[in-house]
Amino acid sequence: MDRELLIEIGVEELPAAWLPGLTKQLAEKLEARLRELRMVPDVPVESYSTPRRLTGVVGRMPERQEDLDEAITGPPVSAAFNAAGEPTPAALGFAKKQGVAFDALERIETPKGTYLVARRRQRGKSAVDALPDLLTGLLRDMAFPKQMHWDAMLEDGRGELVFGRPIRWLLFLYGGRVVPYTIGRMSNAAGPLVQEVTTGAFTYGHRFLATSGRAGRSIKVRTFDDYRARLGEHFVILEHSERRDRIARELELKARKLGGRVALREHAGLVDEVADLVEYPGVVAGFFERSFLELPHEVLTTTLVHHQHYFPVLAEHGELKEAFLAVVNTSPAEERPIAKNAERVVTARLRDARFFWEADRRTKLESRLDRLHTIVFHKKLGSYRDKAERIEKLARWITEQAFGNPAEADNAAKAARLAKADLTTDMVFEFTELQGTMGGIYAREEGLPEQVWKAIYYQYLPIGVEADAPPTKAQLGPAAVTWAAVSLADKLDSVTSLMKAGERATGSRDPFGLRRQMQGIVKTLMDLPELTGVDHEIALTALVDRADPKMVGAPDGWDSAAVVAFGHDRIRYALEQRGFPLGVIRSAVSGHSADNPLRARRIAEALKALEGSEDLRALAVLFKRVKNIARELKGDATLDRAALAEPAERALLDELDARRPRVTAAAGASDYRRAFAEIAGLRAAIDRFFTEVFVMAEDARLRTARLALMADLRDLVLNLADISEIVPQTE
Amino acid sequence: MVTLQQLIFKLSEFWASRGCLLQQPLDIEMGAGTMHPETFLRVLGPDPWSVAYVQPSRRPADGRFGENPNRLFKHQQFQVILKPAPDEVQQLYLQSLEACGIDLRAHDVRFEEDNWESPTLGAWGIGWQVLFDGQEITQFTYFQQAGGIDLSPISVELTYGLERFAMALQDVDNVFDLEWTAGVKYRDVRHRDEVEQSKYAFGQIDMPAAELHRIHRELFEQYYLLSQTLLRSDLALPALDYCLKCSHMFNLLDASGGIGVTERTAYILRVRQLAVAIAKKWAGVEDTEKKEKAEQTK
Repeated sequence: MDRELLIEIGVEELPAAWLPGLTKQLAEKLEARLRELRMVPDVPVESYSTPRRLTGVVGRMPERQEDLDEAITGPPVSAAFNAAGEPTPAALGFAKKQGVAFDALERIETPKGTYLVARRRQRGKSAVDALPDLLTGLLRDMAFPKQMHWDAMLEDGRGELVFGRPIRWLLFLYGGRVVPYTIGRMSNAAGPLVQEVTTGAFTYGHRFLATSGRAGRSIKVRTFDDYRARLGEHFVILEHSERRDRIARELELKARKLGGRVALREHAGLVDEVADLVEYPGVVAGFFERSFLELPHEVLTTTLVHHQHYFPVLAEHGELKEAFLAVVNTSPAEERPIAKNAERVVTARLRDARFFWEADRRTKLESRLDRLHTIVFHKKLGSYRDKAERIEKLARWITEQAFGNPAEADNAAKAARLAKADLTTDMVFEFTELQGTMGGIYAREEGLPEQVWKAIYYQYLPIGVEADAPPTKAQLGPAAVTWAAVSLADKLDSVTSLMKAGERATGSRDPFGLRRQMQGIVKTLMDLPELTGVDHEIALTALVDRADPKMVGAPDGWDSAAVVAFGHDRIRYALEQRGFPLGVIRSAVSGHSADNPLRARRIAEALKALEGSEDLRALAVLFKRVKNIARELKGDATLDRAALAEPAERALLDELDARRPRVTAAAGASDYRRAFAEIAGLRAAIDRFFTEVFVMAEDARLRTARLALMADLRDLVLNLADISEIVPQTE
Repeated sequence: MVTLQQLIFKLSEFWASRGCLLQQPLDIEMGAGTMHPETFLRVLGPDPWSVAYVQPSRRPADGRFGENPNRLFKHQQFQVILKPAPDEVQQLYLQSLEACGIDLRAHDVRFEEDNWESPTLGAWGIGWQVLFDGQEITQFTYFQQAGGIDLSPISVELTYGLERFAMALQDVDNVFDLEWTAGVKYRDVRHRDEVEQSKYAFGQIDMPAAELHRIHRELFEQYYLLSQTLLRSDLALPALDYCLKCSHMFNLLDASGGIGVTERTAYILRVRQLAVAIAKKWAGVEDTEKKEKAEQTK
C-alpha cells in the first residue's frame, strides 16, 4: 500500500517576499530528490508555506526504492591495458570512480569496439530507510536570497547547515510514523540552550492564539488532512490563497462599514504580501487627522502602503478618506488598542511628511540644481548635476529631431533639467520611492506647465512592457511628447553611460536596473504613436549614438553596439510578454527591425495576422532555400537581366519587378500586412523557378545572373523580416 | 502605567533572571549600543557571554531641537547579547514583553524581516524588526560578522528602543510627554539637553562653520592617531574608546554638513579599518595569523 509523506520544516519568521519562491522550490526539489532516490511518486508533490513553516506533502509514496541496475560505459578495452597487459590509469580511475573493483568490470560489444562496463546493482531500500537522505538533500538544496549561520550541521560529511532562518522543529511523517532524523549543532554552540533538532509527529500553532490552554504548545498529527485541520483549530491557515481571500473579504467588509472602499486590484501585490506576513489574518481600522488630507495623495498612499503595509480607504470618487486598514496576525476581541498604536505610527510619519512638504516647497527646483553636485550618479560618470545636463541636451534633441516636434523642445529640455532636482528634497530622502513623483508635484506647485510637471512626474515609467503598462495617454494628456522625450533621455543616458562604465546586467544581478531601463526605452518606442501621436519608427542605434556620453577613462574598444544588442534582446522580451509566437518574434526582430521596437512590433503584428496564410508559410519554407542559395553569389553582381531567358526565371523576374515598388510603398507606409501579402504573392513564381530552373548552371554568366536574382529576392524580403524563421526548424 | 525607569527595571530584572550579566553604559559617546565593547568585542571568539545594559545613543543628524515628538539627538537603547543564541530566544524575547506588562493576545506582535548592517563596524546580521501593532520596538539580530570576522558561535542581539517602547506602553504621542517616573516627564529630564545638543550639532554656535569643522577634523585625526598607537601597543579596549571618539566626530561633521560625498566614504572606510583591526586584536586573530605564517615559513 502506498503511503503518505509529510514534511514540515518549522522555522522562525521567513521574509514574506521569499515565500512564493520557497513554496515552489520546495515542491520542485522534493520531487527531484524523490526521483534521484528512485521513489517516483504517482501523485504530484504539493507544498505550502506560512511565515513559520515550509510544508511538503506527497499523497502516495512508493514503499521502497526501485532496484538499481545500471551499466556505465567506461574506456574502450583497447585503451584499458598497456603493452604489459596491465590496466592503464584511465581504466583504474574509471573503476574507482564507479566504486567497483577493477576485476569486476564487465565488457560490452558495441559497433565502435569493445568497452569496459561497470555494472551496478543495488536492491532498493525500503522508503523509511531512504527517507533520511531525502531530507538531507532537501535541506541542502533549498536556496535562499540570503542565508544565515545558526550553528547547525548535518552528518552528511559537508558539515555546517546554513538556512534562511533557524529551524526550530521538524515534522517528518511517512505513513503516519515519524522518520527519525536529526539536525546537529556546532560543537562550540551546543549545550543545554542549543540543542539538536529532532524529527517528531508534532507541529505548532499560532504564536499567541489558542482556543484553550496556553498558545504555542506542540500539536500531535498523523496525516496531512489531520495536520491541516489541527493547524486550522490552532489559528494557522496553511494555504496562501485562503489567507489572501480572507484578507480581501475583510478589507472590503471593513471599508464598507467606513462608507468607503479599498482599491484591491491596484493593491493586489500588497494583499499577496501581507498574506505571507501572517498565519491568521484579521483587519483593523485606524484613522488619522483630517488635516493630513491636504498632503498630496501620493505621499499619503506611500506612507500607508510602502512604509506600513496598510491599505488606504477611498471615498466614492476615489479620493482618500482619513482612514486606513491594517492587516494583523490575530483576531482581536478589541480592535481599538491595536488601532491606537497603528494610528500613532501613521500620525508620526504623516507629521514628518507634512514637515518635509512645507520645508521643501520653500526652495524651487531650479535652485536645487547646484546641490545635485553632491549626489554621485556613478563614480566614473560624475554627479546627478552632470547627468541633468546630459539629459537636458538629449531630451531637446529627441523632441526636435527624433520626434520632429520643435514646438515642445523647450518644455522637454526644462523638464529634463529639473527631473533629478527632487533628489535633494527631504521628502525624497525619506520616501525614496516617491522620486520623480515628488519632483512632478513640486513643479506643479511652482506653477510650471503640464508638459513640464507631468514629464517629471512620470519620468521613471514605464516599468512594464505590456501595451497597457502605465502611463496611459489619458494620464499624460498634453504632456505625452515631453514625457516620452524625458523618459527616453534619462534611460538612454543611464543605460549607455553605465554600460560604458563597465556595468552589466548578469543573471539575477542587475544592481543598476539596466534591464528595467532598457525595457522602458523599448516599450516607449514600441507604443510611441498610441502614447504620443508621434508616428515615427525610431531605431535604437540612432538614439544610443546620440546618448553616448563623453567619459574619462572609457574602456578601450568600447562600442555602443553592445547597448543596441542589449536592446535587441529586450525587444524580443517585450514581444514575448505580449504573447507573440516565438517564430514570429524571431522573424520580426531581425535585419532592419532588430534595433527598431515599433517596426518590430508592427511586423510581428502583420506576421501574426497572416499566420493562417498558406502562401506565407509555403513562402517561408521556399525563402530558406532562397537564402541558402543566394549565399553562393560571390561579390556584388548587379542583376544581369539579359542573361535570364528561361520562362520560369523571366516570370519570377517580372513578378519581382511588379511587386517590388508595391512592397516598398507598403513598407514605407508601415503597412506591413500589405507588404507581406505582396511578398506571399511571389510564392507560385518561386515555386515554379525552383522546379524548372537549375540555378548552378555550368555557364558562369548565367549562374551569376540566377544567383543575383536570388539575392535580389532575398534582400527585398529581408528588408522586412527574415520570414524563414516563422516555420519550425523541422519543416 | 509603566514609567520609563520602571521599564528599565523590568527589562533588567527579566534578563538578569535569565542569566544575563548586568553591565553599565560605556562612558563614551556612541551611535548605537552595538559599539559598546560588551557587544562589539564579546560576540567575537568561542566563549559564551550573556549581558544586558542600557546605552544612551547619540545621533547628531537626528537632533530636532526638542521640537519633533519622535526624533531625538540622544535616545536610549536597552541592549541584550546572548551568546550562543539560545533555541528559545524568540520565546524569551516575547516573555520579556509580557514581563513589561504587554498582553500578547490583545496586540499584534510580529517579526518582520530587517537585516542589520554597520559599515563602520564591519558588522552585519540577519533578523527582524519587531513590530508592536505596527511600531518598531526592537531590532532582533543574529550577528553573522563583527569587525570583519565570521562569528562562531552565533550571538543574538536584542535592541529595545526604550523611548518608543515606552511611548507604546504609556500611550503617548510625544516622546517628551513620557513619564520618566511618577510626576517627572521626559521633557523635565531631557528637553534642554536636546535643544542645546542640536544647536551644537548643527553649528548654531559662536564660531563660523568652517572653524567648527576644522576643530572636528583635527579631533578626528588626533583620536585616530591615538587609537592606532594604542592598538600597536596591544591595548584593544582603550583603542576602541578612541575609535568610538572618531566615529562620533565623523557623525558631528556629517550632521553639520562638513564633509562632501567622496570624503564621507573615505571617513567611513578609515573608521572601519580601525574597528576591524581592534576586533582582530581583541580576538587574537592577528596572533594566530602570525603564528600560522611563522610556522609555514619554518
